[in-house]
Amino acid sequence: MLIKMAWRNLWRRKRRTLISSLTVAIGLWVAISMLGISDYSFVNMVNTSASMGFGHVTVEPTGYMNNPGFNKRIKAGRDVTVRILAEPGVTAAVPKIIGPGMIGTASKTVGGVIMGVDPARERPKDNVFFRAIVEGRVFSQPGANEVVIGRRMAERLNLKIGKKLVYTVTDINGDIVSDMARVCAIFKTGDDSVDGGTILLPINKLRATLHFGPEDATLVSVLLADQREAEATSKNLRVKIGAPGVDVRWWSETQPEIAGAITMDRAFHQLYQSVVWLLVATGILDTMLMSVLERKREMGLMMAVGGSPTSLFLLVLTESLLTALTGLVIAILINSPWYFFMTHHGIDLTSMVPEGYGVSGVVVDPVIKMTLFKESVVRILVTFLSLAIIAGLYPAYKASRVPPVESMKAI
Amino acid sequence: MDDIISLESVSKVYHQGKIDVQALTDLTLKIRTGDFAAVSGPSGSGKTTLLNLVGALDVPTSGKILLEGRDLYELGRTELSRIRRDRIGFVFQAYNLIPVLTAYENAEFVLAIQGKPAEFRKKEVMAMLEEVGLKGLEDRRPDELSGGQQQRVAVARAIVTRPAVVLADEPTANLDSASADSLLNIMENLNLKMGITFLFSTHDQRVLERARRIIRLRDGKMVSDEISEKNA
Repeated sequence: MLIKMAWRNLWRRKRRTLISSLTVAIGLWVAISMLGISDYSFVNMVNTSASMGFGHVTVEPTGYMNNPGFNKRIKAGRDVTVRILAEPGVTAAVPKIIGPGMIGTASKTVGGVIMGVDPARERPKDNVFFRAIVEGRVFSQPGANEVVIGRRMAERLNLKIGKKLVYTVTDINGDIVSDMARVCAIFKTGDDSVDGGTILLPINKLRATLHFGPEDATLVSVLLADQREAEATSKNLRVKIGAPGVDVRWWSETQPEIAGAITMDRAFHQLYQSVVWLLVATGILDTMLMSVLERKREMGLMMAVGGSPTSLFLLVLTESLLTALTGLVIAILINSPWYFFMTHHGIDLTSMVPEGYGVSGVVVDPVIKMTLFKESVVRILVTFLSLAIIAGLYPAYKASRVPPVESMKAI
Repeated sequence: MDDIISLESVSKVYHQGKIDVQALTDLTLKIRTGDFAAVSGPSGSGKTTLLNLVGALDVPTSGKILLEGRDLYELGRTELSRIRRDRIGFVFQAYNLIPVLTAYENAEFVLAIQGKPAEFRKKEVMAMLEEVGLKGLEDRRPDELSGGQQQRVAVARAIVTRPAVVLADEPTANLDSASADSLLNIMENLNLKMGITFLFSTHDQRVLERARRIIRLRDGKMVSDEISEKNA
């Protein structure tokens, strides 16, 4: 009977209930959109960063990340990658050689990052440079004498497809060695520092130049289906394949600038969300308080005929919750097409964002989309329903304190 | 007959700003089980105050009120609401039904808050609505009923829990003669059939003619307490 009464009371003033439910729904829409967009941009940033070379989890020689160079290496044979791939959630485990070097032509030389990758094991979706190729094609074999360079570097060194460049590195013995490769593809990520300072070589070719063994690599880049599992996976892998001289780290440790930027951004989002929640709670509180004051006489009657203060308290609290739930239903109706649009198409802000805008060398996607994780939805629902209850507490308390005689004098 | 309600030197003073209004003065009164009694007197004589005090809706300034031997004002808020729920039935002048509930649900309300099972409630409420002549109107909301019908729903709600006493504050004041007669017939019948004690506050002659006991108040004091000759 309590729920029946609460529901009917809600619709005694249809317009007011609809307006306050709509306010709740708009608040929810804003909260969901903010959270969904921020989740999408964080995931996108982390995944882009992972596909730039280090993965969501990196297996590397101890001390490599503090001073990445070709003087540190690990054995990354098939047995190692098979054991990594056996870990749940791992979608790829790819050995790589990454270190600093000089890249030059007859007329000019620049410093940059030299990356040895295995074209047979790198899926374009896991490698941002392969995805960003705008001219040419990826080298055909792990031992080919070919190189993929960035658009900016091609401009700076005046290189074109088919032209040769010379790269110089310090090999395993500490000797400076050089080799030549022919440009087979040019990529453009949009970030000038990346496009002007990165080249990709076939891994076996680089191994030969560096005098590495056939299974040697400076790291194994581990990619996951869900980046949120990175920390747990890194812990599991540490147990499974950890050995003296081998470290396993997750992206927050290998990319602290990105982790910091995400933490900061999340904190701001939470602040904005708190304001939205406050407005939603105020809306519910206002409606419920008004409703209690209007029905004082009726509540006095209920007390007079034996209703307990607790039953009145619960009645008003239920009304508050039902107002919120009505808002939730409206929010679902509003959000469903919006969510579909934002996950499939998104809003393209290319004209408003400078080209190549990025954080710590990771290009930020100018198309805003949404991703909602199950835990985010649960968090929104728990926060929302808790607020609805909290907002209803004061009006419910007022209702439970209605003095029967004074209230009924209004008859 | 046993005393169901006992007032011992009860006084009530209302504070209205700086003015104290003496609503009842040193009132001693006993209502017996099965009484069909009316409290009469001019406006401001203290009739409604008396009913509010007996109904545990208000607190006396001094004195003692016993309902079935229990001192009402030694009880806490929750216990008082339980007494109102289980032992007292109320009928108010302005019908006072819950507007969002149907006639059936209004009559069922107190049984529901008593926590009685649905089957029991249905049986009792249907029987009571039939008793007050509202069979077939169960699903109507208060605004779809006439004044007389609404007051009969209020009577059904007051009686359905089989209370010790029904307190009716000017129950016929807003009713035409036919409705008032019909309502009084119902209440008289319930009093005789079920032995439920009725205490009215009224200055309606129609009620006074039916009452078997008339307590007259003036300026908060009892001026007479008469047993009607027809029932003497």
